[in-house]
Amino acid sequence: MSDIIAKIKGIVGDANVVTADMPQYLKGNEQPAAVVFPGSTEDVVGIVKAAYDADVKVNVGGNVVETKGLSGGIAVVMSRMNQIEEVDPENLTCWVQAGMNHQEFVEKLSEKKLNFPPEPYAVSTSSIGGCFSIGDVDSKAFNYLPTRTFILAYESVLPTGEVYKVGTKCIKCVSGYDMIHFIAGSRATFGILTRVLVKLLPAPQAAKAVVADVPSLAAAAKAFKAIQKRKVFPTRLNALNKALGNEVMETSGCLVLVDIEGFPVSTAQYAKEVEAELKIAGASFTKVIEDKAEYDELWSKWLKVREKINLEENKVKFTVGPAKVVNALGSLSGIVSNIEENPGVLVEGLNGKITVFTDPDANAAAINNMAMGLGGNVSGLLGSQLRCKAYNDNEMLEEISRVLNSIRSEFDPKGIMAPGIKL
Amino acid sequence: MLSQSVITKLKSICGEKDVITSKIGMYAYGYDGTMLEGSHVGIVFPESTQEVVDLVNFCREQGIAIVPRGAGTNVSGGTLPSDGSIVMNFARMKKLLEIDLENYVAIVEPGVVNWDIQETLAKYGYYYPPDPASWKASTLGGNLGESSGGPKCFKYGVTRDFIYGLEVVLPTGKVIWVGGRDFSSEPMYDLTRILVGSEGTIGFITKAAIRIQPIPEAKRTMLAIFNTPEDASQAVADIVSAGIIPTTLEMMDNLIINTTEDHCGAGNPRDAGALLIIEVDGHPGDLEAQVETIGEVAKKANSKDFKVATSAAEVDKIWLARRVAFGSVARVKPNYGVNDITVPRSNFPKAIAAIEKVKKDFGVTIGTVAHAGDGNLHPLILFDQRNKDEVDSLHAAEMELCRIAIDLEGTISGEHGIGILKKALLPKEFGPVGMDVFKKVKRSFDPQNQFNPGKLIDL
Repeated sequence: MSDIIAKIKGIVGDANVVTADMPQYLKGNEQPAAVVFPGSTEDVVGIVKAAYDADVKVNVGGNVVETKGLSGGIAVVMSRMNQIEEVDPENLTCWVQAGMNHQEFVEKLSEKKLNFPPEPYAVSTSSIGGCFSIGDVDSKAFNYLPTRTFILAYESVLPTGEVYKVGTKCIKCVSGYDMIHFIAGSRATFGILTRVLVKLLPAPQAAKAVVADVPSLAAAAKAFKAIQKRKVFPTRLNALNKALGNEVMETSGCLVLVDIEGFPVSTAQYAKEVEAELKIAGASFTKVIEDKAEYDELWSKWLKVREKINLEENKVKFTVGPAKVVNALGSLSGIVSNIEENPGVLVEGLNGKITVFTDPDANAAAINNMAMGLGGNVSGLLGSQLRCKAYNDNEMLEEISRVLNSIRSEFDPKGIMAPGIKL
Repeated sequence: MLSQSVITKLKSICGEKDVITSKIGMYAYGYDGTMLEGSHVGIVFPESTQEVVDLVNFCREQGIAIVPRGAGTNVSGGTLPSDGSIVMNFARMKKLLEIDLENYVAIVEPGVVNWDIQETLAKYGYYYPPDPASWKASTLGGNLGESSGGPKCFKYGVTRDFIYGLEVVLPTGKVIWVGGRDFSSEPMYDLTRILVGSEGTIGFITKAAIRIQPIPEAKRTMLAIFNTPEDASQAVADIVSAGIIPTTLEMMDNLIINTTEDHCGAGNPRDAGALLIIEVDGHPGDLEAQVETIGEVAKKANSKDFKVATSAAEVDKIWLARRVAFGSVARVKPNYGVNDITVPRSNFPKAIAAIEKVKKDFGVTIGTVAHAGDGNLHPLILFDQRNKDEVDSLHAAEMELCRIAIDLEGTISGEHGIGILKKALLPKEFGPVGMDVFKKVKRSFDPQNQFNPGKLIDL
């Protein structure tokens, strides 16, 4: 091990390899041999090749690295690769290094009247590389589509050490297999993202928020359905139960947060309609926020709540579709008891998605069965596995697992990358 | 040629009349929009996922390759039968299985025609945004295979952006569901995205969960006429810079303006260098300001004329020329090769200039229509298939156009796919590491190269 650390020090410099006082860069209980801070793609190539040759595990993060399965391995922190390399307003694109802080990136673009809609996964630490590595479907995805649709090209270092570049500034491309979007959600198992070309949008010409204190999540969900019946599709349409909502503002019931971006006439009208529906739902308090500073502060608080939700390990996310949220909330109480008093429940009305703080080992299967009864399912890999089990379809379960692991081993024949990920 | 025992087995799976092995019966399934032909040994028409599974398993045992086919409108050769293959035609799997308006999802079989989905959804005030030019004929399975685009892509995205999940039969004969009825259901790897656009080379899609949405409340259609394509390009860039993402930004050059005038007399000036059809949609209260801004932009870009449609009839008149554009070139030459190069918007004027050079260098006639907002150009190279010299010039000019696209930091295919026509240029676009990555994907799904072999890449 000392050989590889010496080799990596030779690549990135002694000052960029840490072997003591590492916890600030790590998440989890296992202990890597070193935390390294590459400053260039060439550095990343050197690190990965050294690890590949020595059969040493590697994981990567923007500021913090997950250590599951990384005992004795290398934690790569990308925070030195944090530059915006090129903003191209004409093509609405931007080349950015993978270690750039996500929220800082959003704010810098906003100053140029450009919009990068994906929400940071964890606002205090998330990087742009992490954004696409996770490939989230966030609260804005109904209007802006999921995170993956904002990647146009990237440069990565494959687990075998080659530099891989794919994509262009064109928003249309059907040349070859779609490796551009396939990277989203692959969580570093295909290698380390070093630079990303993202798609941008013009900044919205107007934005308003509506907040409301609504008696219950069910009442909020009914209002969400009514809002959509009016053909109003806000940017975000979220409800937080009391425990989470109170981290944004004090409420007696659940907190509804509605974001309306667009053009001046429609945002003004939609705000009125949304507020009216929330009042019909029994809101004890509503407010339309037009002041920019107040608007920004509200969504800044929301992003902190989002970080808390995303970093919570004991949670289950599931989707039932926007029209079935009311039914799902009713059934959920039978599984996790009183959802209003739960430590955390988030309803994303437009995505028809609910996140509930609960032990997945204890409740994910029951929640999945309930969601399937409503035409939905638990999200992600766990959901895929639970669906197969619910149908008693071991053949599909095994085949999906075979395909996933076959792809992974083609890219990473020695299995050195992201060891904590089990497919 | 298939043995009688193989034919008997195929008929036992699909039914007597849904297997064709006669030369005359197979002819219509041996070519596609490229005008090229393949040589297959049979055609099967499965009606269910189980029949697809049984066919895949039997063909694998027999070592027979399978080529999937929808309506055969492909223009890159992706549906051309490979030698000794069986064509699997999905025309019988054409049910619209479910429409769930409140949850914005529909479940469809691959053989359903895009237009039929649109017509059904329109009755409820909904639509499915991907709208390839072939939408009245092309099937959803074909659209999925190529990740088809269309005029509305600039604002709304391409096929891959509207697929929640897929039921897929893999080369192993196993059936899997990837994704679900929302965007959050992928089993970590986004298998839906790697399958969409894979040209039937790694799995056969037997059901798709597509995202549908309400038809926008209002729409405004505009026509801007310019002296030069460069001016039109400038207008496109300035519209986007003004913070407006139109639904469509379609461009036609002088040759196409004239062929469409010959064809149907749409009323466009024959001396115009280019025209732009621009549409914006959304809340009615937002559109007037956008129309006004676009008018100002067009004026600044030296437009000769700028019209805003005030009735459905005027909208139809504006779209008339664009709708007949491809067919109208038959007045100049009997055949055309449609190209699909795409460049960054900023390089659009350079692409137009490069097309002019190709015309001179290769002695070919080219008319260009383009989805200008997303830099996707369709230079139509006109030729006579009976004239070998013209066919040779066509092929040489097409290769040059692809090289130009790559040199202009673009791609050889924006929405038509690679098939066999553009396969030779793929290494230039992606390099050795990129090509190796494609092979990793193909090997993961289809190591025996049974599904649509020879398309997109060679193993």
